[in-house]
Amino acid sequence: MILVIAEHREGKLTANSKELVVFAQRAGRDLGMPVQTVILGADGVNIDVLQTARIERIIAIDDARLKNYDPDAWVHALNAVVDQRQPALIVAGHSTQGMDFMPRLAVALRKPLVAGCVDYAKIGDHLILTRQVFNAKMNLKVQPKGQGPVLATLVPGSFPGDEIETGGTPEREALSVDFTKIPVRRRSLGLSKASKGNVDLSSASVIVAGGRGLKQKENFSLISELADALGGAVGASRPVVDAEWLPREYQIGSSGQTVSPKLYVAVGISGAIQHLVGMQNARCIVAINKDPEAPIFKVAHYGIVDDLFKVVPALTKLVRDLRG
Amino acid sequence: MFNSIPGTPQSNSRKITGVKIFSCIKPVVDPATRLVINESKTWIKTQDATYVASEADNYALEEALRLREKHNGEAIALSLGGEEAAKVLRAGLAMGADRAIQISDTNVRGATEFNVAETLARAIEKDGGADLVLAGVQSDDLGTGATGVMLAEFLGWSHATVAIAINANPEAKTIQVERELEGGVIESVELTLPAVVTVQYGANQPRYASLKGIMAAKKKPFVVWSAGSDLGIAPADAMLETKELVVPEKKSRVEILSGTPEESVTLLVEKLRKEAKVL
Repeated sequence: MILVIAEHREGKLTANSKELVVFAQRAGRDLGMPVQTVILGADGVNIDVLQTARIERIIAIDDARLKNYDPDAWVHALNAVVDQRQPALIVAGHSTQGMDFMPRLAVALRKPLVAGCVDYAKIGDHLILTRQVFNAKMNLKVQPKGQGPVLATLVPGSFPGDEIETGGTPEREALSVDFTKIPVRRRSLGLSKASKGNVDLSSASVIVAGGRGLKQKENFSLISELADALGGAVGASRPVVDAEWLPREYQIGSSGQTVSPKLYVAVGISGAIQHLVGMQNARCIVAINKDPEAPIFKVAHYGIVDDLFKVVPALTKLVRDLRG
Repeated sequence: MFNSIPGTPQSNSRKITGVKIFSCIKPVVDPATRLVINESKTWIKTQDATYVASEADNYALEEALRLREKHNGEAIALSLGGEEAAKVLRAGLAMGADRAIQISDTNVRGATEFNVAETLARAIEKDGGADLVLAGVQSDDLGTGATGVMLAEFLGWSHATVAIAINANPEAKTIQVERELEGGVIESVELTLPAVVTVQYGANQPRYASLKGIMAAKKKPFVVWSAGSDLGIAPADAMLETKELVVPEKKSRVEILSGTPEESVTLLVEKLRKEAKVL
């Protein structure tokens, strides 16, 4: 059995949870295993998409300890599920939440964790998992050894969440877990939204974003000049704001803003997955980077593999000339 | 340690008041250099490679030094590996760590996060425990962010990941951590100490080692332990077998526009206007 740990926020399943179901359905078909999902703190969560999915069972666990995320409570509850159901494979999102409890669960179970998976293959009777390494520049294929279960986290965007196989009538089961012996050593003090300042890139139709390839703060003017010429806004990847070339509110990516402009020009940005998830839905993506292996080229529509210090001024000049 | 509990095992006889913090540093092949896959396709070539501290670990060490400066106590740099670990530990001492522990075992190279976390946990216990252990949110090579969390489970401590701010309250034996979640959401949590916290990129501005710091580092305590004989870590059966390291195939739709810079941008503008219709 493949156990999917569904993640939810504000009463909705996350996009990644649907991708996990798709992954599990496909891997399950190849490996001849049914799929079950477990939802912790399920009360009030909309699970319509799961109720029609071709899966065997939806396990819901509710308790006061599961109202706010707490890795101790999560690991305890999941340990109980694993103990009762003996899954062969346990998958969760490679998210800030998934990576907060899956490593603990792996140690508690003394079982392997393959974190950051993007694909799988079945070779003979073996499951091979492909994980991203070296900031997504390379993939490492690994085969878990020993008796199951194997734990894995799946990188967001690796499987199409809108391709859940439907037509199933999963059994819904409420599982009760005793938390009385689990001490509270973490208290949630609340969630807040990082200030976007005056920069809201979500409505920009053209964005020119710069990355580490610009080498120093002074060179960022190349980005603002091109953005000006195109009538667009300026954005940045994480290393740029970490180095304080630009304030944090310009950051695009999983920990910054998510944007979907008509045109996105990525300059000197290698394209770490954290950046890609924030911009890959742009209608047209242009990447300018001297490294032909840069992951940004995987999501780009047009690419120029060359020195940005030559390409960007030429592009700015051309756009200015055309626009008079 | 805060208000040391009588009877708590303490292997170091020096009496430390304030907070005792470990900062874990992973040596990685300098990501700024060209990474080449080795002949057996199991990892990158490491011969003659330049090792540096994994970037996020620098933010963790800076956070450890700031907490030590604020609350007094001790910041200890901890690393696993051969000469590459000694190198990043010396850099950590030069930045301001008080002492260093190197766990030297060549068979830990290429070990899984699981083995690394267990080994680090045993070293921390051998040193008498701590109030807080910090590590970078993820490494530049495996990059999964699992080791710190696994370490917390091996130690039996609380933990928080992706910290962008840490405030300690030593008297109450708690810390407040701000965690950075997806979509710019910040979660604030309070943890009971001892705890493990992984620190996000950009949480602070790591200091540079001064010349004075580099000189002072040479006189600071530096111990080397063996994972086997000092920590009792037995060689474990591999939980994961590496099949192949590959450069991912490009499943992409990208159209590469070549030529001189002038030619390629002319082609680009034409495509953007006529094909993509976005200009």
